Amino acid sequence: MTEIRIENLSKDFDGFLAVDDVNIAIPFGELYSFLGPSGCGKTTLLRMIAGFEIPRSGRIVLGEQDITDLPPYKRPVNTIFQNYSLFPHMTVFDNVAFGLHIRKTPREDIRAQVHKMLALVKMEDQASKYPAQLSGGQKQRIAIARALINEPKVLLLDEPLAALDLKLRQHMLIELMNIHDAVGITFIYVTHDQSEAMSISDRVAVMENGRIVQSGPPDDIYERPASIFSAYFIGETNLFSAEVVGLEDEYVQLKCDSGDGQSFEIDSTFHFTPVLGQKLTVSLRPEKIAITRGKPGNQDDFNVLRGTIEDILYLGTHTQYIVKVGKLRVRVFSQHKRVYFDEKALDWEEPVWLFWHDTDTWLINEIHEPDQGNINPESVGSIQRGKRAGAN
Amino acid sequence: MSRKTALTRKSLEAQALRKRNISSYLLTLPALLWLLVFFLIPYFIVLIYSFLTPGTYDVKFTFTLDAYRQIANGSYLRPFFLAFRLAFFTTVICLLLGFPVAYYIARAKDKLRNTLLILIIIPFWTNLIIRIFSWRIFLASEGVLNSVLLKLHLASQPLELLRTDLAVILVMVYVYLPYMILPLYSVLEKLDFTLLHAAMDLGANEARAFFSITLPLAVEGIFAGALLVFIPALGAYLIPQLVGNQQSLYVGQVITYKIKNIPRNWPMASAMSFTLLLLVALLLLVMYYLYRRRLRSRTY
Repeated sequence: MTEIRIENLSKDFDGFLAVDDVNIAIPFGELYSFLGPSGCGKTTLLRMIAGFEIPRSGRIVLGEQDITDLPPYKRPVNTIFQNYSLFPHMTVFDNVAFGLHIRKTPREDIRAQVHKMLALVKMEDQASKYPAQLSGGQKQRIAIARALINEPKVLLLDEPLAALDLKLRQHMLIELMNIHDAVGITFIYVTHDQSEAMSISDRVAVMENGRIVQSGPPDDIYERPASIFSAYFIGETNLFSAEVVGLEDEYVQLKCDSGDGQSFEIDSTFHFTPVLGQKLTVSLRPEKIAITRGKPGNQDDFNVLRGTIEDILYLGTHTQYIVKVGKLRVRVFSQHKRVYFDEKALDWEEPVWLFWHDTDTWLINEIHEPDQGNINPESVGSIQRGKRAGAN
Repeated sequence: MSRKTALTRKSLEAQALRKRNISSYLLTLPALLWLLVFFLIPYFIVLIYSFLTPGTYDVKFTFTLDAYRQIANGSYLRPFFLAFRLAFFTTVICLLLGFPVAYYIARAKDKLRNTLLILIIIPFWTNLIIRIFSWRIFLASEGVLNSVLLKLHLASQPLELLRTDLAVILVMVYVYLPYMILPLYSVLEKLDFTLLHAAMDLGANEARAFFSITLPLAVEGIFAGALLVFIPALGAYLIPQLVGNQQSLYVGQVITYKIKNIPRNWPMASAMSFTLLLLVALLLLVMYYLYRRRLRSRTY
């Protein structure tokens, strides 16, 4: 059952197209995220659903009702604002009661419902405090209670965790999921933080330049990115330019340019039908690659590359190796499990073997332009070279 | 040992703090002296004069409550009433006119905002008396406004605008409007306008959002602006003198006449000044009480 349907929705600001012909249908009860970098139009989209922006064209349909032209106060949706926007001159109780008060709910009902809501967000004992006396996480909870007490059909969340520190963010994320389960309504969540979107959402829509470039369950978007943008915006990845040199029933052979005049061949499964000689892009997630000192054994379904460790970044849960293959830099994540026989740690400048399963090579039907995104021609494999250099 | 050191450090810190306090008191000393010499002592002299007996030019040093008795039995009710009425209407009209202006300036883009603020301040660059005289030219029976009205056949004969209570209020509002706009602007400028979005998101229409969010959050500015307009308006002398009529004498004018006209009545002028001060102080106390009560609780 579709709860909210967005049809051909566009919005421009002085000629700048912020939202460009967006079409989506969000099923009832889902936690749906819009994910994208700042300026991608995700917040504008949310504000149009809330009623704070008037679309240039298109429709927003909630249930059976066309809400495109309704003012915000007539829409059965509520918003959690980025900075919470609690009313500073009202107590927690009055903040939460605001919506009911506007609708002239009897006083006893207000009292009962506010306490129920405060219990839901675990803030029963803070009712008489003012927003200025609350911590960031507490403000967040009050903002949620203030919105949910109106029993909206859809709850809109605009980067709700952006102002919290990491630990609190992780905690509130779980809390939000619990609240979503408890109230069972549709949540629309806007964020630029891919890990947040991945962990909380039933479905994610990736946005770029006002358009939805891919939507689907988080694992689908992560494992099967449809575009170079999706691949490198969500998680980290290695991108190679490749050319199709061989086709079999289930496998394709690819020739990758390693930037030094040499090339190497890898195998891949495919999800679209490539043509012999076609140029495309390979996305290879760093955690899919194994790195060893010794040559791997059975190599039938594996791609094997030889490289030299250029850099080692210890990151606690895992180590990131930057391995030079020709002129390419390949990023490899390796967790600290002691399952290998050569337990002596890998060292700088050490020659190593990289290998990964053929099915983990992911093809993207786009040509990888040197100036696209922040991909550097010298280091096709390592798209965030600037960032890495900064870390050194 | 370490405990002892900690204690010593604490007492040292306390000492340093005390020292800093003393020096900050010292810094306020010039201002305190200034107020003492030029405000408190003169007011004390006024207070003493109000209990003396009037002479032709000065005072006789015999104690009497005559002046206060006359004020209390209502002989001077009208000038006080007129002054309060004028101050009240000036404040209310300034608030009603100033709020939208301050709101608009606060929401304007940076460049426009600065231009508008300068426009608000520009009248201060011209001498007050010159500005009041220009109003006289504007309002006079053969003045600018009347000739335009006659030309347009909106009036068959010149309207008596100058030397009316209306003219006094008009010019008062003109002069005191910036004193209302500026404090309002300073609170509205700090107002987080997403709060209005939040209120509308929760079901409040524009008017409701204004009365439950904007207005309560602007209340400091409203109080400040109201005080800045009301108190000077209470003692208005110049404007009623220049554009008002002699049938409506405001308390400020009466005080002046008591000193200027012979036989001079210093004690009466002093008593009226002091009564005015008491009334203003009383008003401030009431406003302060209202303000505190607003802060305390607003539970529905």
